[in-house]
Amino acid sequence: MSMQEKKTVTFVLNGIEKNLETERSWTLLHVLREVYDLTGTKYGCGTNDCGACKVLLDGMAINSCSFPIHKVEGKSVLTIEGVTLHPRLSLIQDSFVEAHAIQCGFCTPGMVISAAGLLLHTKNPTEQEIREALKGNLCRCTGYVHIVEAVQLASEKIQEYDNGKV
Amino acid sequence: MERYNTVGSSPYNRESWDKVTGVTQYIDDLRFKGMLYAALLFSPHAHAKIVSIDASQALALEGVHSVIHCFNTPDLLYNSAIRFYSDTNPADMPCTERVFGQEVLFVGDRVAAVAADSEALAREAVKHIKVGYELLPSVLTLEDAVVSNAAQASPFGVDGSNLCGGWVAYGSDGEEAVLERVRRSPLQETSTFRTSRVHHGYMEPVAHVALFSPSRTLTVWTSSQSVFSFRDVLSQILGLPQNAVRVIKTVSGGAFGGKLEVMHEPVVALLSMQTMRPVKIRLNRKEVFSSTRTRHEARITLASGYTPEGKLIAQHVYSLLNTGAYAGSGPNTVGAQSGKTFVQYGADAMFYRGGCFYTNSAIAGAMRGYGCPQIMVSREVHMEGIARKLGIDSVQFRLNNLLAPDSTNCMGKPTHQALGIECLQEGAKIFCWDQRRAQALVKSTAKVRYGIGVGTAVHGSGWYPVYQDMTSVTMMMNNDGSLQILTGIHDLGTGAKTVLAQIASEALHIPLDCIEVVEADTAVTPLDLGAQASRSTYIGGNCVLECSLIIKEQLLREAANIIGVAAQDLHLGTSEFIEQVSGKKVSFSTIIDSAQKGLHGKQRQIAAVHSYASHTSVYSYSAVFAEISISVESGTVKVEEILCVHNSGTIINPALCEGQVHGGVQMGLGYALSEEMELDAQRGNITNPTFKNYHMFRAHQMPKITVKFVQGAEPSGPYGAKGIGECATDGVAGAVVNAISHALGGVTIDHIPVNASYVQKLLSQFVP
Repeated sequence: MSMQEKKTVTFVLNGIEKNLETERSWTLLHVLREVYDLTGTKYGCGTNDCGACKVLLDGMAINSCSFPIHKVEGKSVLTIEGVTLHPRLSLIQDSFVEAHAIQCGFCTPGMVISAAGLLLHTKNPTEQEIREALKGNLCRCTGYVHIVEAVQLASEKIQEYDNGKV
Repeated sequence: MERYNTVGSSPYNRESWDKVTGVTQYIDDLRFKGMLYAALLFSPHAHAKIVSIDASQALALEGVHSVIHCFNTPDLLYNSAIRFYSDTNPADMPCTERVFGQEVLFVGDRVAAVAADSEALAREAVKHIKVGYELLPSVLTLEDAVVSNAAQASPFGVDGSNLCGGWVAYGSDGEEAVLERVRRSPLQETSTFRTSRVHHGYMEPVAHVALFSPSRTLTVWTSSQSVFSFRDVLSQILGLPQNAVRVIKTVSGGAFGGKLEVMHEPVVALLSMQTMRPVKIRLNRKEVFSSTRTRHEARITLASGYTPEGKLIAQHVYSLLNTGAYAGSGPNTVGAQSGKTFVQYGADAMFYRGGCFYTNSAIAGAMRGYGCPQIMVSREVHMEGIARKLGIDSVQFRLNNLLAPDSTNCMGKPTHQALGIECLQEGAKIFCWDQRRAQALVKSTAKVRYGIGVGTAVHGSGWYPVYQDMTSVTMMMNNDGSLQILTGIHDLGTGAKTVLAQIASEALHIPLDCIEVVEADTAVTPLDLGAQASRSTYIGGNCVLECSLIIKEQLLREAANIIGVAAQDLHLGTSEFIEQVSGKKVSFSTIIDSAQKGLHGKQRQIAAVHSYASHTSVYSYSAVFAEISISVESGTVKVEEILCVHNSGTIINPALCEGQVHGGVQMGLGYALSEEMELDAQRGNITNPTFKNYHMFRAHQMPKITVKFVQGAEPSGPYGAKGIGECATDGVAGAVVNAISHALGGVTIDHIPVNASYVQKLLSQFVP
């Protein structure tokens, strides 16, 4: 297969089905930022080490910077822009603001995605579980203190939402 | 304590909503019509002369628009770290850098740059540039650079040596006299400590965009910490008047000093001038590690004389820093470090001698602390060694020697609100120091050792006395009574804009959401010296406060005329003045309308431009307490708990201020235990330029962190505030290193990071 070979990939992006002619060398991050102009997902390292590029792939947080686009075939991608439109997961964003978990903010979208990946599967995580879920996301500003508190707060908000209290 | 409306409360960082939704446009997110992408060719050699460059194959590629290098760009020397325009003292800011030099001085030095239709193509084209090098002898390490017969790493070394700028040497007495006081003291201690080269590790990679227009004006967007000095450097290199160069700070994705000095902005500017198209560069992470800025590696020797009762008599500091291939802010960092000698501990006689040295390695520059973390950790370990020898408790020994408030130090300078002692006392109480120090050894086993340590730190607020610090602000009332603040202060994500808005809100009783803060754009905002020296709250805040009072006076006079009463009969309500007796009110919007129509005097806008100058050095203080455990089998250190007690005067926004401390702890822990840019001993390249191999602390590795503030208003600060940014990280490493030593029976630790392999070595010396 040559580098230039094109392939049509069909996937769901923030709830909308996409058919995209792609080049084999493209990563999911490249497609999000350069094709769809979804710049909320960040390039931080390009080597799978910092988590600034995390998106949800079928509900699991993955690094998009080293994820080949053709592997997205038939799957569903949710980016930070999609989280904003998601009534349940956007509660995580509210929590990040309220807990003062945002400084420079460059890691924030990736952090929110990792938190979403955790909270989609774990209803009431312990502090240790939260820290484990965030260990692929580097932050240089916050020492993670307010971020961990934000995820705890988000867990409460989502439970209230699920119980019909919000 | 005074009661305030907004000061002391914790409104959210005003950039939060845009950031959390991914809407914020960082520089890498900006899109320009017709934009080209640049890539750099970096030197593979530590020291070489470029004899030829053949770019023909690169230029032949379709979509490649320009290739620039040392043979087709201006050959002009500059210093990337200047603050003031006239900052040209060769001892302090030597000009040693070129956009492209014919001599490359480190692996990662710029050789050439390409502008092409896509990033991938630009990176491909770089590989087609053929460069002929003539290799020169290289000097890779600080140890090799300081010896008397060393080869020259840079042609700018003083008198054929590798010394950069010159020695900084001064003290309370002459150097020999201070050394003599040390020697003649009843007891003496000498120790040498080495600190490693580390990187800021900001999450946003370095990126710039430049656009040169046919009308010969240049606009540069960059995630900068000092737009005005960038403008000055660019205009100098490009031969453009400063009015024709506009530098715009983009939202910062983290900086920590690492974006304070001009990096590759001149490259994209030159490429845009060549192509007349917008040109962008974004480094990949490996390039960020190897070709931006780092913290100065250091070797610091302290010699102290003291009494058997544990009182310092004299202290001599001898500091050698590695500035890398270019001067940048090297000598200035030495200067900043020197000052810390005299403002933490008291002794009758003290002397500092320090210098930075060129090596053929990555450029050192400003990084949070600016020379301070090096001297703090070295001295805290040194002091611990003295306390141990004397058998005096670590906290008590420091209490005996920390400078007291409202006294004078050995240089005859007033200590103002030196609350280091109070921080230490408060911390020892909260941390249950005495009990835990004893318990740690009791609970240690053959498999796990526990240790408790303490470190203190001090940091300035603003540049003075290194520079006469100043900033300016423009404040303009809008027609509806809301307020625009135009400030050169750069918010690096710390919440500086939020804090400035709080100060204006407090002074003018304008609600926070009716205050807009516009930052750092050379065409829009007034002059500022940049986000550095923990000066945003103290210097910027004072300027905003004074300007607010000018605005308030303008509003008050007009209000008095409108109501027809004396100004002193009015008091401030929320966006209005109220007459005390009648309760009659006049809103800011009515006042502004009246002024604009000239109903009570000359037609005018309610607005002011104000400069604030600081000729005072005030310091912030901290005491850090750490508990660590060591796995005897693996040598792994786990940080169990950190307590930070800070004095930064009045805390304007407690949540944001705590956030600064939390981040400072993360950076300090990495400095102490895990972060080090490793250099290949032969080639001189950085061998761990990834986040996988450069170990910054992650969420699951962080300890519990408690932050306490010892308040106490600083009379010269805005509502009593002082700085926090750098003090937040300065004291952390000392506490951690001392805790490790405590766990291992007082073993001598002589460098950081204390990583697992070093701990294994220490364990081999340790007999339980």
